[in-house]
Amino acid sequence: MPAKAAATAEVTPEATTVPAAVPSRSYIWDKLHSLSGIVPIGAFLAEHFWSNSYALVSIDRYNQASYDLQTIPWRVPVEALLIWLPILYHGFYGVYIWSKGESNLSRYGYGANWMYALQRWTGLIAFVFIGWHVYVERFMTQGRSTYFDVATTMANPLYLSFYVIGILAVSFHFGNGLWQFANKWGLVVGRDAQRKAAWITGAIGVLFAVVGLLIIFGFVFQWRPFQFYAQ
Amino acid sequence: MNPTRVILIGGGLAGLMAAIRVAELGHAVDLFSVVPVRRSHSVCAQGGINAAKNLKGEGDSTWQHFDDTVYGGDFLQNQPLVKGMCEAAPGIIDLLDRMGVTFNRTPEGLLDFRRFGGTLYHRTAFAGATTGQQLLYALDEQVRRFEAEGKIRKLEGWMFVSAVLDDAGVCRGVTAVSLRSGEVRAFPADAIIVATGGIGSIFRQSTNSVACTGSAQSALFQQGVNYANAEMIQVHPTAIPGEDKCRLISESVRGEGGRVWVPKTPGDTRDPRAIPDAERFYFLEEWYPKYGNLVPRDVATRAIHKVVFEEGLGIDGKAMVYLDVTHLPREMLTRKLGGVLEIYEKFVGLDPRDHPMKVFPAQHYTMGGVWVDNENQATNVPGIYAAGECEYQYHGANRLGANSLLSCIYGGMLAGPAAVRYAQNLAKGSDTVSSDVYERERKRQEDIYEKLRGQEGSENPITIWKEMGETMTQHVTVIRYNKDLEAADAKLAELQERYKRINLADRARWGNQSLHFTRELGNMLVLARLITQCAALRNESRGAHYKPDFPERDDENWLRTTRAEYDNGSFKIHLDPVDTSLITPRKRSYKS
Amino acid sequence: MAEGKTIVVKIKRQASPTEPARWEEFSVRWRPNMNVIACLIDIAENPVTRYGKPTTPVSYEANCLEEVCGACAVVINGRSRQACSALVDHLDQPIRIEPMSSFPIVRDLVVDRSKMFEDAKRLRCWVPIDGTYDIGPGPRIAPERQQVAYALSRCIFCGNCLEVCPKVNEHSDFVGAALINQVRLFNMHPTGAMHAHERLQAVRGIGGIQECDNAQNCVKACPKGIPLTESNNDVNRQALLDAIFGWMFR
Ligand SMILES: Cc1cc2nc3c(=O)[nH]c(=O)nc-3n(C[C@H](O)[C@H](O)[C@H](O)COP(=O)(O)OP(=O)(O)OC[C@H]3O[C@@H](n4cnc5c(N)ncnc54)[C@H](O)[C@@H]3O)c2cc1C
Ligand code: SF4
Ligand code: FES
Repeated sequence: MPAKAAATAEVTPEATTVPAAVPSRSYIWDKLHSLSGIVPIGAFLAEHFWSNSYALVSIDRYNQASYDLQTIPWRVPVEALLIWLPILYHGFYGVYIWSKGESNLSRYGYGANWMYALQRWTGLIAFVFIGWHVYVERFMTQGRSTYFDVATTMANPLYLSFYVIGILAVSFHFGNGLWQFANKWGLVVGRDAQRKAAWITGAIGVLFAVVGLLIIFGFVFQWRPFQFYAQ
Repeated sequence: MNPTRVILIGGGLAGLMAAIRVAELGHAVDLFSVVPVRRSHSVCAQGGINAAKNLKGEGDSTWQHFDDTVYGGDFLQNQPLVKGMCEAAPGIIDLLDRMGVTFNRTPEGLLDFRRFGGTLYHRTAFAGATTGQQLLYALDEQVRRFEAEGKIRKLEGWMFVSAVLDDAGVCRGVTAVSLRSGEVRAFPADAIIVATGGIGSIFRQSTNSVACTGSAQSALFQQGVNYANAEMIQVHPTAIPGEDKCRLISESVRGEGGRVWVPKTPGDTRDPRAIPDAERFYFLEEWYPKYGNLVPRDVATRAIHKVVFEEGLGIDGKAMVYLDVTHLPREMLTRKLGGVLEIYEKFVGLDPRDHPMKVFPAQHYTMGGVWVDNENQATNVPGIYAAGECEYQYHGANRLGANSLLSCIYGGMLAGPAAVRYAQNLAKGSDTVSSDVYERERKRQEDIYEKLRGQEGSENPITIWKEMGETMTQHVTVIRYNKDLEAADAKLAELQERYKRINLADRARWGNQSLHFTRELGNMLVLARLITQCAALRNESRGAHYKPDFPERDDENWLRTTRAEYDNGSFKIHLDPVDTSLITPRKRSYKS
Repeated sequence: MAEGKTIVVKIKRQASPTEPARWEEFSVRWRPNMNVIACLIDIAENPVTRYGKPTTPVSYEANCLEEVCGACAVVINGRSRQACSALVDHLDQPIRIEPMSSFPIVRDLVVDRSKMFEDAKRLRCWVPIDGTYDIGPGPRIAPERQQVAYALSRCIFCGNCLEVCPKVNEHSDFVGAALINQVRLFNMHPTGAMHAHERLQAVRGIGGIQECDNAQNCVKACPKGIPLTESNNDVNRQALLDAIFGWMFR
């Protein structure tokens, strides 16, 4: 009997050919996920903060801005395509990505690892918050939300605290998300560049948080610092 | 062309190079290694690899390289292959360069070269201070490519146990044991190449890796493969004394300008940085003005021994001297020597850029090894080839720094094709060999394992290993006296007796490391005795082998290779003439 | 510290992949400059627990003992690192030693890291050369470039960066920072760069670079100080450009 076969048969050679490089779909989905956080969601967020800032000018201007947005052509498809779908995708896919990770903060409490964990939790909070916010201000008002509607919500301390938490979570998630984006799309490479990007995106996050909180305070205290513009 | 199968034992530089050569010729390779090949000991080499590329306008030549090597080896090499190696060296560097080794560069983008011991030329190509790592990785990656193409099969975590010899004494394969499952299995092949590296574990606190046990060489020796110049053991002058091992501080540190000194006053307890130049004794520079700190290793090691033990000038009265780079620019140190300095920093806790390093000699390399012929790395047993540190061919009585990586690769380049040629010319391939031949050897080895597992007694393998190591380091390294060597041999014989009473605390099969280690230990003891006996026999001083009672080189009687043959527990040592046809032996002195 | 002192070592043990894990405590004689490997050798010489119960020597991996072979990675006091460079005097006691958890266990402290080598195949981590015959020198490389490549090429495949990564676990096939760094290294080499597309395509494959979520633990855990996050971002950029524009120019 040829001994060669006998002695070597069971030791299977490891992978015998270069495994073909099949681009996995997940690459595209993952990239879309990080992109969707910037555009359209991030862009919409900026726009949203902008139009809500009219609350700091005057009630009329706010209602006017609100009305302008409510009367854009193709409103529902535009909303669906540019806002609801991306947010749903970003949210659900984000949870799926989360489920593939195992946080190990207790062992490795480094800065970026904290950011990794916080990004997930703030994402979840933001998702819930946005869902509720949309429900209350878009659907409960039949898409005709006014200054008054929002102010009414804010008058409830429970809702108010939810707003504060929500705004902070969204701002953090967005600021840190920008930094993630800069890394994941290779916009920054060197350690210094990464650090600078962290400062810049951090500043953007803080800016969003500050503006967001100011708008809330505007509603709660009927505080309109830019009112004199309208006079 | 009949496709043949070649087995490679060892995945260091030599083994990988040979594997690539065989695969390139279109033949199947089984590559065995106890550790994943990327973790082989070659990864430790720091300083560099020699090649006379003469890129520094110094008029270097391959002949000069050859001459330095032979002179450095005190003329104990058979010269033709050494010449071949030096001539092939520049091409080898080019090859490595093409494979992507991150060699340091000059501003023109060419390879940079540094100086090393035993030469006056800048001849050593280097990749920072982790050259061996970079070379090993380059070869490993090429092998991975062949592996992915199905041309090489790696058996990592399989330990070679013995050669399978047929009734005519021809090698037909190997038996190996899985370190994981404990299974012993026979593997047929038309030829095998041994590239199992050094034997440092035989010595206590050598600079070698743990896997450098020499067990494979010893097993083959006991099966009839000759072993040559066993007594030629290199002790490196500069290593960090350590509890588990001595960590090497590469010769490249001196090549880049590091200086060795001791305080002139015995027992000077001042901080080294507070000792002015005038009160420092740069003994190597004073004793060897021409080569200074870059004398060959045997010379530097003996000088350190002299300054410490005869002149009592060791630091704080201890067995240590300073190796100082604090006068060199920090940026250059990091760029060219970062890897070595990091080791000192990590394991001692001081930054050598600010504090002179404390170093002492430690066992480092074996010039001796498996006997191979003068042309193609063939041993005396048909079908068994050898390459790398495990064979004896290239370094005579003392190896020059940065020549080993070269000899490993060169040896591998020769051994691969030679083994294929042999296999092609075999009248009958291994597929015609009866399976009984394999089963018999497999059974024999398995029985030894089973016996060891079940054995009762009172001895512990680690204790025996430590005692062996201490005996060897104490008596069979730098300075050798015949009476000590005899005492050492007697001690080793005693350890061999005690070995038979080893009781393993672990009797499992799965992942039983002490079982495999004990098996290796038995082989190490044989090799230890061989080294000791050959050392006792050679009554002269040559290269690394130094006997104060016979302080001169004696070409008349000892320009001889000691070739040992195993004979049922004892050794027959033949004295073979050395081929010095190209360079006539002359007196070796580095004083001027 | 005085001679004659002892140190307490707690080791997580597991006789085989199918058997349950357990902790054992040992007491080891202290010596100056001792590392964790020295403790394990002592235990092998005297395999008896602190409470006098005979046991088996601990299985572990180690080779070079100078942090260059990568073999000895374990989790010490909760941190993944190389055992040979873990000096006892710098560790809190009792010293807790566990196997890495991101890789399949073999026995005691030994785990199976072959995944990394398999991934290296998948990602084509080599410079494809025509052959080993002597056909002249390689491409010229600027010293600055060599310095960057050298820093990347020092990866010892220890797996610490995978162990500390929240995205390397049984739910994900992420190749890990080490392998992405290899892609960058080979794409940097003039010859390697000729085949960059293949590598980039593979690095977008299953378990590819998209799995990275920037927890950046890898760079903190790497014993060789490899700028892993830089490599990651760089490969991200390459992979993306290749994905978006690659098809246009082919
Ligand atoms: C700290 C240090 C620094 C050095 N620096 C330099 C330098 O700068 N320049 C230079 O030229 N030289 C240097 N050397 C010497 C050089 O590194 C070695 O001589 C060389 O690497 C040996 O390579 P090798 O291929 O023969 O064996 P190794 O690299 O030791 O490989 C041996 C292989 O055999 C395998 N093996 C062993 N036993 C078995 C078995 N029973 N079954 C299966 N497989 C087995 C191992 O797994 C391994 O893969 C240095 C050495 C040391 C210790
Ligand atoms: S990148 Fe660093 S941590 Fe990761 S395997 Fe390589 S050396 Fe280890
Ligand atoms: S033993 Fe090699 S890295 Fe620790």
